[in-house]
Amino acid sequence: MSGQRIACLLVPGLPLAAELRAHPEWVGQPVAVVAGSGPRAEVLALSPEAEAQAVQIGQTAVHARAACTDLILCPHSPALERAARDALRDAALSTSPRVEEAPPGTGVYVAEAAVFIDARGLDALFQSERGFAGALYERTRRLGLPAVIAVAGGRGVARIAARLAWQNGEETRVIDPGGDAAFLAPLPLDLVNPSDSLADALGRFGLHRVGDLSSLPERALTTRLGEAIRPLLALARGEDRAPPPPVPPSDLFEEASDLEFPVRTVEPLLFVLRGLLDRLAERLACRGLAWGELTLELGLDGGGRDVRRVGMAAPTLDVRVALRLLDLAIQAHPLGAAIEHVAVRTVACTVRGDQLDFFRPSGPPPAALSRTLAELGAICGEGRVGAPALADDHRPDAYSVRDFTPDRAGLPRAHGETPSASQTLAVRALRPPVPAQVRARNGTPEAIWSALSRGDVVRCAGPWRTTGRWWNEETRYAFDHFDVQTDDGWVVRLRHDWVERCWQIDAVYD
Amino acid sequence: METPPGSPDPKLSALLRDLGGQIHRGNESLDLDALPLPTGIPPLDRVLGGGFPTGRVSEVSGPASSGRTSLGLALLARATAAGEFVAWVDWADAFDPVSAEAAGVDLERVLWIRPTELDAALRSADQVLKAGGFALVGMDLARTGASGTERPRIAASAWPRLRKGAAAAGAAVVVLSEARVVGAAADLALELDAACPRFAAAPDWLEGLDTRVALVRNRTGPGEGHTPVKFRASRNAA
Repeated sequence: MSGQRIACLLVPGLPLAAELRAHPEWVGQPVAVVAGSGPRAEVLALSPEAEAQAVQIGQTAVHARAACTDLILCPHSPALERAARDALRDAALSTSPRVEEAPPGTGVYVAEAAVFIDARGLDALFQSERGFAGALYERTRRLGLPAVIAVAGGRGVARIAARLAWQNGEETRVIDPGGDAAFLAPLPLDLVNPSDSLADALGRFGLHRVGDLSSLPERALTTRLGEAIRPLLALARGEDRAPPPPVPPSDLFEEASDLEFPVRTVEPLLFVLRGLLDRLAERLACRGLAWGELTLELGLDGGGRDVRRVGMAAPTLDVRVALRLLDLAIQAHPLGAAIEHVAVRTVACTVRGDQLDFFRPSGPPPAALSRTLAELGAICGEGRVGAPALADDHRPDAYSVRDFTPDRAGLPRAHGETPSASQTLAVRALRPPVPAQVRARNGTPEAIWSALSRGDVVRCAGPWRTTGRWWNEETRYAFDHFDVQTDDGWVVRLRHDWVERCWQIDAVYD
Repeated sequence: METPPGSPDPKLSALLRDLGGQIHRGNESLDLDALPLPTGIPPLDRVLGGGFPTGRVSEVSGPASSGRTSLGLALLARATAAGEFVAWVDWADAFDPVSAEAAGVDLERVLWIRPTELDAALRSADQVLKAGGFALVGMDLARTGASGTERPRIAASAWPRLRKGAAAAGAAVVVLSEARVVGAAADLALELDAACPRFAAAPDWLEGLDTRVALVRNRTGPGEGHTPVKFRASRNAA
């Protein structure tokens, strides 16, 4: 399709839409969004059910409640509105990389939010422009936003078409290419939103329809009405065709909520988090992304902030996994004060498909593993779950624990590389070592008394001396190790600690 | 030596006897997930009918220095060499990475869990089985320390739950303990006798440990049996 095509994704009452997105159970009920708190708070936005019961925008909360006793009054939440605006942009970005937020509406359109989308070529992706508009409508609806989509040749025409479609109860409207001027011609001039002075002047000239204006010569109009008429004329002729600029991809997503009442316990907080995560998951799914890491920010009563980060073993969109991880992160460090504001942020990343191997087992599923590791961390404590590793240390009892990441495990060792000693004698480490009293002759043990073994030494091999960190008074060590068999059946690794001047059993051969 | 016509080949008979459950007819449907986990110790695998059964709870018990840990590490080494991921629930806190590395265990494929409480050990094993993807979940319940040897006290109801989890995950659960603790829920039980250490004369050093492994219960394969097993000391581990 040749020529510029612009889609306008429009949500007429964003404050109300943002509230209904967070509280879907209110859909179909009389709801009013009020600015501020208390009886003098003014009504900002209304649901059609509230409007039907004579509640009006600009009324105080008291008057609104008097008009409709069942009215649900909710304070305006900038956090919810910001998240709804971001969700609208995500829906748009799911179809095209060239997206631009429309300037805020004025007058009766002050509460509307609109996004322009470069719709050139999208008919090929969605079979037709109507197919594209229908798909975008479905995506926006899935994000919990009541939107309307119009496609036209210019921004202004698309926005006016979207407003008209909303008034007529349509979901989408497509103005055929080249049909912008014909579409606008019979419409009243008020719809192109002239300033008050310009509207008066045009009225005096007897111009009441958009077609009346667009048919007049530009030079004559500019001479009489000044430069202010130019943008209006361009709109009336459908000439505002600059495509939206490409948007740099952002991988930061946020859903936030201001709580009506401070929350002090975990249960209600989890209830709020569930809603935030559900909405975040819908937005990410819409963009084909998943959360790679979550940041929970809690605004505390008194102005403090509590930030907790939760890593993911693999990108996922499983809300239950994320909720459990956040739950564990909260339980790890109890809440210090009541919570007034909750925000969940994530750095999104693309979901990778599992690369299965014909010969190798697939291992634990990454999404379930991150939850399991968090559960195990909560059960066993910090630093007690991971992959064992050899420490870069000569001390005999040194070891380290690394993060368990199946991705890091390379190819399994071929059978030839596996040490042939699959029958290797193992030792059981004793942490901490068990103190022992030893009767020794010429430094060689002859009998042991300890909590484990009490008896004469039957055979003994050693000593093997290990020393290290001699330059540091606090961490230096010097051991003489002996492999000892006692007459009560134990085969242990006995050591004489030359620093502490004591005997210990630090391992058992088993 | 000529074999009389019609009588089975003695070599073939010996092979069939040794390999037991590892041999299947061509027309039998082979459930790969249900294949046992071998230990890599041939005489023991023969007694076990191929190895430790997957989807079941097995138990290895014996006194200290009887070779339980060496047997457990052999199992880990063989499983990780095959590319499997394994979990080691180490209530005893006795896992020695140096020793495991010397035994051939691929440490990157081991999830080492060190609960301090017995209840936490059982819950940890349960969580790992729920996650799935682990071929083996080892539980080391042979805790020894400054207060001597601690006998784990576990409610009998815990084991059937773990057995159910093992069956669902298709994982082999192997419990190491001083004395048998799993009871009737164990599908396979091995008992190790007190081992006999071997010391080299000159230079004086511990060469290895000779033990005897007895199969005292096996619901999944051949009945009882026993075999001697020799473990060799690794200089690295020592």
